[in-house]
Amino acid sequence: MEKFKSIIRDYPFIAFIIAFIILAFVPSVVFTDVYQSHLATLIFVNIVVAAGLNIVKGYCGQVTVGHVGLFAVGSYTAGTLFLYLGLGFWATLPIAIIVTAFFGVAMGIPSFRLEGPYLALATLGGGEAIRLFIENGNFFRSTFGISDIPTPSLMGYNFDSPDRYYFISMTIMIIAVYFSFSILRSGVGRAFMSIREDPICAAAAGINVKKYKILAFILSAMFAGAAGAVYAHMPPGYIHPNNYTVIEMVTFLAMVVLGGLGHIWGGIIGAIVITIVYDLTRPLYKYQLLIFGLTIVLTILFMPKGLGGFIDRYFLEKRFKKKTGTEKTT
Amino acid sequence: MILKTKQLSKSFGGLKAINKVDFELPKNEIRGIIGPNGSGKSTFFNLVSGIYDSDPGSYIEFDGHDITFAPPHEIASYGLSRTFQLLRLYQDMTVIDNVMSGYHTRVPYKFFDAVIGRKKIWDQERAIKEEMMELLSFVGLADYAELNASELSGGQRRLLVLARAIAMKPKLLMLDEPAAGLSPVNVDNLMKIIMQLKEKYGLTLIIIEHILKVVMDTCNSVTVFDHGQKIAEGTPAQVKDDNAVIEAYLGKKMDDEEMRKALAV
Repeated sequence: MEKFKSIIRDYPFIAFIIAFIILAFVPSVVFTDVYQSHLATLIFVNIVVAAGLNIVKGYCGQVTVGHVGLFAVGSYTAGTLFLYLGLGFWATLPIAIIVTAFFGVAMGIPSFRLEGPYLALATLGGGEAIRLFIENGNFFRSTFGISDIPTPSLMGYNFDSPDRYYFISMTIMIIAVYFSFSILRSGVGRAFMSIREDPICAAAAGINVKKYKILAFILSAMFAGAAGAVYAHMPPGYIHPNNYTVIEMVTFLAMVVLGGLGHIWGGIIGAIVITIVYDLTRPLYKYQLLIFGLTIVLTILFMPKGLGGFIDRYFLEKRFKKKTGTEKTT
Repeated sequence: MILKTKQLSKSFGGLKAINKVDFELPKNEIRGIIGPNGSGKSTFFNLVSGIYDSDPGSYIEFDGHDITFAPPHEIASYGLSRTFQLLRLYQDMTVIDNVMSGYHTRVPYKFFDAVIGRKKIWDQERAIKEEMMELLSFVGLADYAELNASELSGGQRRLLVLARAIAMKPKLLMLDEPAAGLSPVNVDNLMKIIMQLKEKYGLTLIIIEHILKVVMDTCNSVTVFDHGQKIAEGTPAQVKDDNAVIEAYLGKKMDDEEMRKALAV
């Protein structure tokens, strides 16, 4: 067991490969109908977005409320590339990631001068502007939406149903989470955290604040772009501007906040919980916004570090007790 | 000369917070900076470390680099480290993360290696962590490494800030009131640690301090600021007897004639 632990410590991607193999068997063993595969794909898409949002909001401390706009950019890049050039998933995914990265730069530039609620307002405007631009542009098929976006195929095998597409979204999710994990565990993650805590002190410690802020925005935009492309190609392959409203933004925020801001696994835990709750409360659709709004407020009031922080605290106290033999009171 | 300023000025509106200060500091010296509140000591630190931009006509040189217009992170990369009067601790980070973030300028690997997560990254990260744990146990905080910085006591926070500033292995360390709010025993303890660190890393030090005993005991030389100007400089003994310094702290010395005039009004 010790040996296994040290191998994982040196080569963390082995843990991700194990997770991949376990998740690959989930549909055939656990799922009872196709809808559950569809739900799992949605969870994976949300995990990718939340992992990206956690970089910029949880780690770098930049309050962005326009992330859904970047998600839309990813989706619509994939959609329009198919519509006008007939490109498939394997071409649109990387292009969508790159295009969204550029939008991420645009979204990040206000953060040089604005902070806190003011940055939130600026990015909210940015996100909504992107949606309105799509909704009113004939180039993007405006309110008709883009339909029949094809599912990807690999070596003659077409991932054309939810239980097959599950493997595509799962792979992308594993890769994205692995990248976010290794970025945030390294010195880059530490630089992000110091900027969140105190930008002036971070600058005095040799961290290029502007560079790292933009880097955080670019990275999280790339995550959102990948998620958007996966979402666009998901069967039945239909995207509509209404899928990218402020309501979606609130659910993304609820995921990150509930999971724990600045916690590596926070966004992932939050994405799983919130997506399932979202699905279960579909009959109460009138009250969904209320539920997620309340979730955010109550989490911030009573559990500021989210579920992730809760779990961390538990293990820390356990270790502390083991080491010193005393109960810690705080 | 490790640090040199010429005609350094900074005004906020009409107030000249720093007015034409020429300052020179040789290597391996411990320089104390004293002066009444609002005399421009902290502003001087902020100008040198690049947090404020200096007024036109100023010149700052550090270790052979012209840093007059350099941004703070560039100045830090030349080997200048500082602490803040209000600590600016990273409250929501663990103690060890606080110290490791001070290591930033020395992190050896590139960003893309970190994205891919190669083995050498984790090896180097572990080496950094080990080195920083050593530093933490040197200042006596090793037991608290996994706790949040906000859970430390006031004295421990001062030690943590000191360790964070040392982590980048600076050539020049500027301490802004390192002992403010500490009990006399803790002050002695802190100064002992600072002196040990200076020996260990071969630092040059500038210390702003209000506790004159500390300045007089530890510093090789002292600079006195008042109203943004340098009014005296020399060994602690010289400065103690300087008329301008006594005036700045206690008020003007008057002869009988002047006293009579002042009282008549």
